[in-house]
Parts: sequence; C-alpha cells; structure tokens
Amino acid sequence: MSEDEIRKEEQIIERSKKDPHAFGELYEKYFDRIFNYILRQTDDEELAGDLCSQTFVNALHNINRYEFRGFPFSAWLYKIAGNEVNKHYRKNKGNKIFSIEELKVRELVEQAAEEWDEEMITRLLRYMNELPTDMIQVLELRFFEDKDFKEIAFILDMTESGAKMRTYRALDKLRTNFNLKVKYDG
Amino acid sequence: MGKHEIRLRRQRMSARGSDRYRNYNAVLKQHGNEKRFKQITRIFTFLLLIALIVIIFMAITRWEKKQPSKPQTKTNSTAVVT
Repeated sequence: MSEDEIRKEEQIIERSKKDPHAFGELYEKYFDRIFNYILRQTDDEELAGDLCSQTFVNALHNINRYEFRGFPFSAWLYKIAGNEVNKHYRKNKGNKIFSIEELKVRELVEQAAEEWDEEMITRLLRYMNELPTDMIQVLELRFFEDKDFKEIAFILDMTESGAKMRTYRALDKLRTNFNLKVKYDG
Repeated sequence: MGKHEIRLRRQRMSARGSDRYRNYNAVLKQHGNEKRFKQITRIFTFLLLIALIVIIFMAITRWEKKQPSKPQTKTNSTAVVT
C-alpha cells in the first residue's frame, strides 16, 4: 500500500468518525476481501454474509477508537472478522472449517517431482487436517490473503516470530512429506 | 486450539456471488439500531443504579428510625472540692 493510499484512508476514517456514511467507501473497498476471508473459514455463503455485515457494524461501532499503528486499515478489519468467526464457532461448538480453493492450492504448491493428481490433493488435505488450527490460520493469511508476518501477528494476536515459526514448521512438514517446492519468500 | 476440517472448493468465489450480501444501507441501519439500543441500555442501567441507591438510602433511614432510642446514661458528676 502506498503512502498516498494510506493517507487517503486515514482521511476517510477521520470523516467516518463524524459521519458513518463516509465509511461506505471503505466498506466497498474491503467487502470482497473480508467476505472471502470469512467464507474460507465457514464454507457457508449465507453465514459469511451475516458475519461480514456484523464485522463492518462492529468496525463502525469502534471506529472512534481506531488508531493507525503502522498496519493498513484492512488488518484491523481482518482482526474483527476473525473475532466474529471465532465467536460463531464458540457459540455453536462446531469444528472450525477451512474451505480452500483448489486453484489457490495449485498456486501455492509448485509441483516438483511427483505428479499433481487427485490422490495428491487428497493426501495434502489429510495432512492439513492434522495440522494444528493456529498453524492453518497462519498459512491461510500468509498464502491466501498475502499478508506479511507483522500483519499476521497483529490479526491473530501473536508475536511476529511466533507467526514465522508456525509457517516454517508447517512448510517444512509439507516439503518433507510431499517432496514439494513451496513458493515462499520469507 | 480446537479441531478443524479442511474442505476443497473447486469453484472460485465470484464477485457476483458476494454482491448478493453487499448492502451498506443495511449495515448503517444495523449500526444505528445497535447504537440506540446501547444508549437505551446505558440510560436504563444508570436509572436502575440511582433507584437502587435511593432504595438503600430509604431502607437505612427507616431502619434507623425503627431502632429504639437509647436511654440517656446518667453521668456521675463529681464535684471537685478544693
């Protein structure tokens, strides 16, 4: 995000503190990203729609308390969205779902030695099912949402080194178990 | 951390799909309603607290009135004769 964009966003946020209608611009800008983030964690469009609305309502409620801390505004929205999803799962006592697009998985993993076939995908999903949930959350934000470690740490309320360590561990297992080369820029 | 389930989605979510849920006016309306509800709850809690304080105060005053008045104790005055 460029300096200009950040400054423009800050102006919108300042206006939103006085007039909630001004927040509409940020809503339009981030709706799709937040909706897809929630959809990936629920696999239910209706539910994702409801939680997404609640995320923006909560953001509007707390916009007066928002302070720029070196992260883009979207990180704050991701954090609220994550809290809404967690609240939903706590209330319904169900297993957390991660719905991953096949296309994204193909983008993530570059084929090395083995053939990329259905069996490979099934094995990969089985492997991901066995990873701890917090590791999946970090991987999701890193590779499907393109967030840097600083932002991931802020969204998931953990340290930057913790986020890095979880990613390294998950990817190491992926490399050894599947003999795959994973795009990873550290 | 709890358990989770990984699902594979073959289709990519289209922008049109999420558009069905995009409605800023509804968000504004919900924000307004929740804000009003919060304000009403706050006022109600404040009034309730004041009522409670008044009730406690009245109860203490009544209890104090009901208490039998203590007989005045006679103090032995001793004259010091020099």
